Amino acid sequence: MSKTRWLILLLGFIGCWSAASAQDVVLVANKSVQISEIRAADLRSIFMGAKTRFADGSHAVPVTLKGGPAHEVFLKHHIGESPDEFRAQWRKAVFTGQGAMPKAFDSESALIEYVAATPGALGYVSRISPQDKVKCLAAVK
Amino acid sequence: MPRRMRLFVLVCICTGSMYAQDLEGIEVHGFVTQGFLFSSNNNYLSMKSSDGSVQWTDGAVSVSDSLTDKLRVGIQLHMYQLGDLGGSNIQVDWASGDYRVTDHFGIRAGKVKTALGLFNDSQDVDAVFLWILLPQSIYQIDNKSFFLSHVGGEVYGELPLGRSAGKLQYRGYGGQANLDLNGGYVKQAADGGLVFTTPPGGKIYGGDLRWEAPLGGLTLGSSARVQALDGTSLAGSVHVPPTFISAEYAQFKKRKFYFAGEYRRFPLNTVVTIGPAVIPVPQDQRAWFAMGSYRLTEKFHAGSYYSHYINKALDTTQSANYSKDWVVSGRYDFNAYFYGKIEGHFVHGTGLGYYNSTNPTGLKPNSNMLAAKIGFSF
Repeated sequence: MSKTRWLILLLGFIGCWSAASAQDVVLVANKSVQISEIRAADLRSIFMGAKTRFADGSHAVPVTLKGGPAHEVFLKHHIGESPDEFRAQWRKAVFTGQGAMPKAFDSESALIEYVAATPGALGYVSRISPQDKVKCLAAVK
Repeated sequence: MPRRMRLFVLVCICTGSMYAQDLEGIEVHGFVTQGFLFSSNNNYLSMKSSDGSVQWTDGAVSVSDSLTDKLRVGIQLHMYQLGDLGGSNIQVDWASGDYRVTDHFGIRAGKVKTALGLFNDSQDVDAVFLWILLPQSIYQIDNKSFFLSHVGGEVYGELPLGRSAGKLQYRGYGGQANLDLNGGYVKQAADGGLVFTTPPGGKIYGGDLRWEAPLGGLTLGSSARVQALDGTSLAGSVHVPPTFISAEYAQFKKRKFYFAGEYRRFPLNTVVTIGPAVIPVPQDQRAWFAMGSYRLTEKFHAGSYYSHYINKALDTTQSANYSKDWVVSGRYDFNAYFYGKIEGHFVHGTGLGYYNSTNPTGLKPNSNMLAAKIGFSF
């Protein structure tokens, strides 16, 4: 691998790590996702089911963790809902026939595996390692 | 074992082993609830509530699958027992195909939930509410089946209005809605001598506009529904010409606080024919509620609301023509699946929720009630 590639990988890793260490989560997406940053409002809309597409028009597949600190941090900082409220909103959508609940995972490694294998998948984890086959997205205002 | 308990146990066993199954994209979800009601006076909602009643069970299972990025199909089966209402009949709550062309425009067709006011389409999903009974002035639990869904279709979407103007959600629909043969309206008609064996029904159309303000957490909206209804029984018939129902509402969520209010007007010119007698039943129902709640801890949530109903077409000083209900409620979530609720009602007036057949000696104008419910949802 060339020095430049190593440098990019290192910078990406540091970027993801610094996001995680600032008590936030790392947004991870399938490598087929063309965008590298996502507006906070779009992120919320995608995870609340109001939007099904990224800004570039490609299909978005939101996935979540079933619980834990990263799940709580993500919902609080990026969605503005508590886990109970988030679950209630989705139950409402499911039981009224207006939406399908995002796939939820027990562990971050399972989530990363799914995101890496699913075109359009978008999720979050507390940290990623360089060998994870996903890309990081930055959330912007 | 009574039928309602069998239903509760059966759904718990089935759903307990399922949890939210995802079989290669097929999603299965469900809920089941068991309620208890005690009233100081009168028997409410066709239950023998003055003795304390547990004739209050609800259960539903939904199955859905995303066939493509844009097309999703699903069905939800629902069963309920509320006193003499409901029973062992399994109803199709909704069954639809949903084609979302873009985020701004989609179509649903089949049997779809009907948008009307804040909670109409979700009023049977107990798990999402703090309240055991939604404000009965507007969301009458004994008549919910009629308003909940229609056979036909709807268009829906969300329109961004720019960063400083929020967004607009719209829904427009049309189709046919029928009364539930085991529901409140049909039971009331039967108590009055009209026994329907085929459900009265009629065409409906309407829509809902909901503005999500840029001010975080504020939603304002307005709904309209035009409803006609005709039915024939051996003893006579009922006719309701197309009637315009309107609803205006607001909701505000901020951190642990939640506030909401709604006003609805429901004027009806029902004509009942029994033999040679043609009986006009004038109604001008005006109803509103105001509610507020606070999440005290992650698991405990408490709130209160006031619900107000009057029939302006009649003498509103008579207790039979109004219903005013002060409510205090609490909910505790044991975990992500199980929850319990408790609620106190202070009801003035007998305009809603009472049936002659379960109150043969007449009604007292006021009643206090205690309701409790446990629920499981996955």
